[in-house]
Amino acid sequence: MFLHLGRLLQNNSFIVTINEVPVTAAALEIIHYFSMFLVVGPTAMVDLRVLGAADRHHPVAELAERFFPWVWVALAFNALSGFLMFAGNAVAYIPESTFHAKMLVTLLAIIFTLAVQRGVPKWDRSPSMPATAKIVAIISVLLWIGAILAGVEVPALSGIG
Amino acid sequence: MVGEVVNFGNWLQNTSWALAIATSDWAYPFVQATHFTGLSLWIGTSVAVDLSLLGVGNRRQPPSRLSDALFLWNWIGFAIAIAGGFLLFSVSAATYLVNAAFLTKLGLLIPLAVILHVAVQKRVRGWGQMPAMPAVAKLAGLAELLLWLSVATAAVSIPYLA
Repeated sequence: MFLHLGRLLQNNSFIVTINEVPVTAAALEIIHYFSMFLVVGPTAMVDLRVLGAADRHHPVAELAERFFPWVWVALAFNALSGFLMFAGNAVAYIPESTFHAKMLVTLLAIIFTLAVQRGVPKWDRSPSMPATAKIVAIISVLLWIGAILAGVEVPALSGIG
Repeated sequence: MVGEVVNFGNWLQNTSWALAIATSDWAYPFVQATHFTGLSLWIGTSVAVDLSLLGVGNRRQPPSRLSDALFLWNWIGFAIAIAGGFLLFSVSAATYLVNAAFLTKLGLLIPLAVILHVAVQKRVRGWGQMPAMPAVAKLAGLAELLLWLSVATAAVSIPYLA
């Protein structure tokens, strides 16, 4: 059933055009990379602040309140450009295990980032950074690095993309 | 001149470390991931300051304070991105050295963007002490943001021109 949907998606004329015209195909890649930098960099900075490795003299909320709104905007651009590239080759991606791994690791990274965002107000009120906070932050950083690694492993191991 | 550059490229891509990356099953994606992780830190924190100069986000926290908070990891990210980028380049140096998109990226866009970035980092405290963010600060922030986007455009164009 998924493959059937994938075939419909992949044969859609808008999807075909956007992935085959060099200018739009390149634009999708540029948006996907650039928005990824704007998701991972600021998220990692908040995590590093929670770990005590950055901006120690100011509350975590200062970086968190600035960064999280645009992390989610950048993630929306990242997801949309990623979906359009996926759609252009959906039949190949759907059964591909390296692609499943990339999606799973990215989803986990997003969940841990949400946990950091929710935890920050509470962690700022505590006299020292709770151990739970540091564990969540380090897992978040490692998952984002893992998502990047999984992302480059998809073409390296499967030849797709 | 062109011959010497190509000779240098051939020498580089035949060094033991370049051959090791090129012939290994797992090394190349790890080096790619290193490059992108460094870029996430570098571009993510650089563009953060650019956006704050443009007035995006919390205005109570001045751009200079944000720039100071990000300074260390900004340059750590740069070092990681350069190290990873150099290794990726060395794997097929001779091909990159005759690619117009690569030459534009490395020879023109990155130097311009880095010079502007350093200028912004040096000026940001002064701009923060003025009653309102001066137009030149906003212009510098916008220009740096657009320059990094053009670096990404040149990078993505490399295989299209190969």
